[in-house]
Amino acid sequence: MNDQPVNTKEVNDILNNLAGTLLDSIQKWEDVVFIGIRSGGVLVAKKVVDLLEEKTGKDIPLGALDIALYRDDLSKMRFYPEVRKTDIPFSVDDKTVILVDDVLHTGRSVRAAIDHIVDLGRPMRIYLMVLFDRGGREFPIQADFVGKQIDLSDEKIIKIEASEDTEATIDVIICEVNR
Amino acid sequence: MTWPYKDLIAIHDLKREEIATILDMASSFKEISKRDIKKVPTLRGKTVVLLFYEPSTRTRLSFELAAKRLSADTTALSASGSSFTKGETIMDAAYNVMAMAPDCIVVRYPYAGIPRKMAQLLPCSVINAGDGYHEHPTQALLDMFTMKERFGTLDGLRVAIVGDIMHSRVARSNVYGLRKMGARVVLVAPKTLLPPGVDTWGVDVSAELDPVIPDADVIMMLRVQKERLNRQFFSGDREYSFFYGLNRARVEKMKTDAVIMHPGPMNRGVEITCDAADSARSMILDQVENGVAIRMTLLYLSLGGSVNVD
Repeated sequence: MNDQPVNTKEVNDILNNLAGTLLDSIQKWEDVVFIGIRSGGVLVAKKVVDLLEEKTGKDIPLGALDIALYRDDLSKMRFYPEVRKTDIPFSVDDKTVILVDDVLHTGRSVRAAIDHIVDLGRPMRIYLMVLFDRGGREFPIQADFVGKQIDLSDEKIIKIEASEDTEATIDVIICEVNR
Repeated sequence: MTWPYKDLIAIHDLKREEIATILDMASSFKEISKRDIKKVPTLRGKTVVLLFYEPSTRTRLSFELAAKRLSADTTALSASGSSFTKGETIMDAAYNVMAMAPDCIVVRYPYAGIPRKMAQLLPCSVINAGDGYHEHPTQALLDMFTMKERFGTLDGLRVAIVGDIMHSRVARSNVYGLRKMGARVVLVAPKTLLPPGVDTWGVDVSAELDPVIPDADVIMMLRVQKERLNRQFFSGDREYSFFYGLNRARVEKMKTDAVIMHPGPMNRGVEITCDAADSARSMILDQVENGVAIRMTLLYLSLGGSVNVD
């Protein structure tokens, strides 16, 4: 099964709304940095940062976080996940960090990401922004900025990919979990 | 991604794409050592025992730091402070260590084959930190990682390995690895220090250093292993240095972007002069830095998931 519940136009609207909400909520942009969780979160963060840079005329720093080494299920896995590079070319000390992921589900990835960020420094505060919130939390974690709420059964996963036809959009794919 | 091994005993056992995976992942692990907080929680609760039956500075420290930066607990045992001096065999020592439930044993031993034997008999991961004249796989991996960082690829790279090839596990591991990765290797040594059967290794061999220098991208100098050279292999340090030492005159004949490597410890004034060791071409300290990243990668891969052992 493979369907596309959110079309390209709707994704663009959601991204625009997120950028608009951030502009309304945050007054001081000097100390704001974006950190995306690899790989979907980086894609979403990049799109939102592009929109914000267009609107504010400022350069907004963007980093990528790999949380493989911070997962809490490593001892339960048959094989460890591939480790990619954390690439944060700025200090997070005293910054307002907008942590970005594509989908908020159990909250475990966000827990790992927060642990990772505090190993890099001491931000002033961390906001969480997600493209989709699908519920099903296992940790007491909520997002500050949500693109869209989606109800999905546990057998399904949402994936996002860079769209192949144009650079400007994201494809959203829903498929069955491979168990 | 799946990593099929619980142990790392020899580069000889690895496929080209597995070496490529290690080298790719190592750059992710290298980044951790550049942070203010040089630690990730990945191997929390795992125990790594370092069994070193031969002296070591770099390798032991490197493994220990690698394990600690992944949050594993480490403890090190060396031959001089252990029951080995009271006559306990290495396998008895290994079973006793195993009874204390480590997740990984890193072993260095003066004779070939012991790490493999331990890997076959023990349920924990075993990583070879050098066994006799056999292999020193993590050294070759860190050497290849250093070359790849510098040149972008190992394919087509011309690597000269100079010195006591016969007694060098570093040379053997590098030859196996570099050939799998597409590099061209030339071994340079007096004939007394070439092992029998070197003609089957698939490398070029030269008894002279000078003709090799202008073509080499990497010149890897091996240590004159005084502790192993108890027989007469060459007339003396001065003669060796004259024919096989890397000095300023030879460095000046190297290709513009060629580099100098050495696995350490160096005998300054014998196989390498200070001019060469401290020159801008020297990657010797990069090798040491990269060693920690490579060993973090291997601990991560070897301790990952469950592997059945009969």
